[in-house]
Amino acid sequence: MNSATQARKGLSRKAKENLIAYSFIAPNFIGFSLFTLVPLIFALVLSVLSWDGSNPIEFVGFDNFVRMFKDKTFWQALQNTLLYTAGVVPMTMAAALGLALLLNQKLRGRNFFRTVAFFPYVASLVAVAAVWSFLFSPTRGPVNQVLHMITNLPVSKLPGWATDKNWAIPTVIFFSIWKTMGYYMVIYLAGLQNVNPELYESASLDGAGAINRFRYITIPQLAPTTFFVLMILIINSFKVYDIFITIFAGADNVLSGTTRVLVYQIYNAAFRSLNYGYASAIALVLFLIVLIITIIQFKGEKKFGE
Amino acid sequence: MNKPFLRSLAIIVCLALLSACAGSSPPAANATQAPASQVEATVAPVADPTAAPTVEPTPEAPADNSVSLKWALWDKELTIYYQALLDAYKAVKPDVTIELLDLGSADYNTVLTTQLQGGDDIDIICIKDIPGYANLVKQNFLEPLNSYISSNNVDTSLFGGTVEQLTVNNDVYTLPFRSDFWIIYYNKDLFDKAGVAYPANDLTLDQYDALARQVTFGEGPEKVFGAHYHTWRSAVQLFGVLDGLHTIVDGSYDFLKPIYERVLKEQDDGIVQSYAELKTTGTHYSAAFFNNQIAMMNMGSWFIATQIAKVESGESFSTNWGMAKYPHPDGVPAGTTLGTITGISVSSHSTKKDEAFDFVNFVSGPEGAVVIASTGTIPAIKNDDVVAAIASLPGYPTDEGSKEALKTVKTVLEMPLHDKSADIEIALNEEHDAIMTYSITVDEGIKNMNERVAEILAN
Repeated sequence: MNSATQARKGLSRKAKENLIAYSFIAPNFIGFSLFTLVPLIFALVLSVLSWDGSNPIEFVGFDNFVRMFKDKTFWQALQNTLLYTAGVVPMTMAAALGLALLLNQKLRGRNFFRTVAFFPYVASLVAVAAVWSFLFSPTRGPVNQVLHMITNLPVSKLPGWATDKNWAIPTVIFFSIWKTMGYYMVIYLAGLQNVNPELYESASLDGAGAINRFRYITIPQLAPTTFFVLMILIINSFKVYDIFITIFAGADNVLSGTTRVLVYQIYNAAFRSLNYGYASAIALVLFLIVLIITIIQFKGEKKFGE
Repeated sequence: MNKPFLRSLAIIVCLALLSACAGSSPPAANATQAPASQVEATVAPVADPTAAPTVEPTPEAPADNSVSLKWALWDKELTIYYQALLDAYKAVKPDVTIELLDLGSADYNTVLTTQLQGGDDIDIICIKDIPGYANLVKQNFLEPLNSYISSNNVDTSLFGGTVEQLTVNNDVYTLPFRSDFWIIYYNKDLFDKAGVAYPANDLTLDQYDALARQVTFGEGPEKVFGAHYHTWRSAVQLFGVLDGLHTIVDGSYDFLKPIYERVLKEQDDGIVQSYAELKTTGTHYSAAFFNNQIAMMNMGSWFIATQIAKVESGESFSTNWGMAKYPHPDGVPAGTTLGTITGISVSSHSTKKDEAFDFVNFVSGPEGAVVIASTGTIPAIKNDDVVAAIASLPGYPTDEGSKEALKTVKTVLEMPLHDKSADIEIALNEEHDAIMTYSITVDEGIKNMNERVAEILAN
């Protein structure tokens, strides 16, 4: 009898605690399920359906995937997205880390330079893309004019930047690095603040030089930050769309050839062709790619951490 | 940062990534696409239209037996005939209040579809282009109008055959109220400077090319380009359909080869500005024409009202200008040109369909045509009186040639109605872009068009 009462009391206390905990989670979780989880599940289901948003939904099995694997433009978009990611991720990380190390020194006007480095990230994409397009205009832009003065090559021999199929991806990669490195620099700066200065001190006493201190203290201490930056960068690179549209889309609002990216394919399928099933199939592939990369990174990070 | 935190963060970001791509969310690109927006029928220098829908009721408070209708359209602030039409309709039907729902021009079809899917109580819908129309019909968002047309005794012969071209499965879902066609705009001062006679109203494509080469002069920032092709596919590719032997939904595009070769040669020779550069710098055709940079430009008749207004406001420096008929292939009569139609429809979800059709009928009918013409825009009902009214507007070039330029003998629709026209348009636009940026050769581009459209037509 006595123990039963205790058990009931214990249960109710536990339930109460749970209830409190759930009530704290609820606002976020309701939002998450409504705006993320439900659309996510819906998207998964849609990939085996055919639906235009109005007419009855039809089950089509793996037709959407078969079509995707036969679609040349999909492979081109995938290839361009991979190229872009391969360029942007390591270079942005290097640039952001370099900036963070520089601006972590005790130098005069440090806050000013930090702001300057962060500024491109805050600036409106459309506005800065317009400025870049002007700077890198092959015939009228100052970049090629300076190159012309230095090399004395005719403009036709200089890079065509965004207007040239071979330079298009490198141009957006440069643009993207410049635009986002300030953000990752801030994350690295925060990471650097967490490194215990005593570690450097004792390493210095033991005779470690700047390179060794960087190699054996900074890099390992920054591992969680690096992992975070790497993951966010990869995800953002796979999702790239806005930069390409602002730089390359003409009045018809299309991307083609070396400027086509995966999210553009999804946008086209969903909102121009009104084929939500096909769009979801491409989105699912994008999701799986990012998921696999993230899992591999987790494994790698665990190993690295040990 | 600890690992459990990172792990949950990673999962959430992955989920967010997929859900962001799910069909139910609105496109994230709206804001970024705004600068590329094609502003047709710009009339007054007003701030940029926003992509976000805005509703503005007309000032009068509704009376007791009043009806309120909602009209989906684009560029409310930039288009003067909307208010003129509302005012004229108010005089006939004082009890009807019409709200304007501005969905922006850049992504009108996408935003409209999203609104309709979300159950917005739109009663009247403006149709921006044929692919958009085909999609709306397929999605059952438009009310079939045949029964309304017969019960209201609407004379569709006034539209000169366009209603027939808009018929899907024996029913028509829109009535045209604007019908634009393509002409040549030219800068008289630049022709005078080059010592070349103004373009005649009967130019063949070869003559147009030769003339463009004659009026190209100067170097560096002062260079004058003989012609100008805007970064729309229609500005280049559709010279190929003027002979009436092919359409753009045929599925076979070999006939476009000479068209592309001619234009790319002009691009290589510096007769026209590079497509890729115009595209990446986001140059609007009006800016190119206003700044005395180009001697001739092929563009739609919607630019007439803009050019007149911008000359008046001092924004267009090309103050001495004229118009000529569209260049045509050999053996095709002068006055053959491309056309686009802007329609007005009743939403199938509207609860006030009769009232909505009454307004649709007013706007597309003879009374609406007079109102639209008075603003310098060409209405769908286009007879000699309407053309004369536009040609006598203040600011319209006074020479006889420019007045004659508005007379057309045959108008070929830019995009014929086809239930796959939206998909065909994407494929053609993309391959056009690739050809014009030299990403692929003309032959590769045409091969891709043939293959991709065949695939679309087969599905």
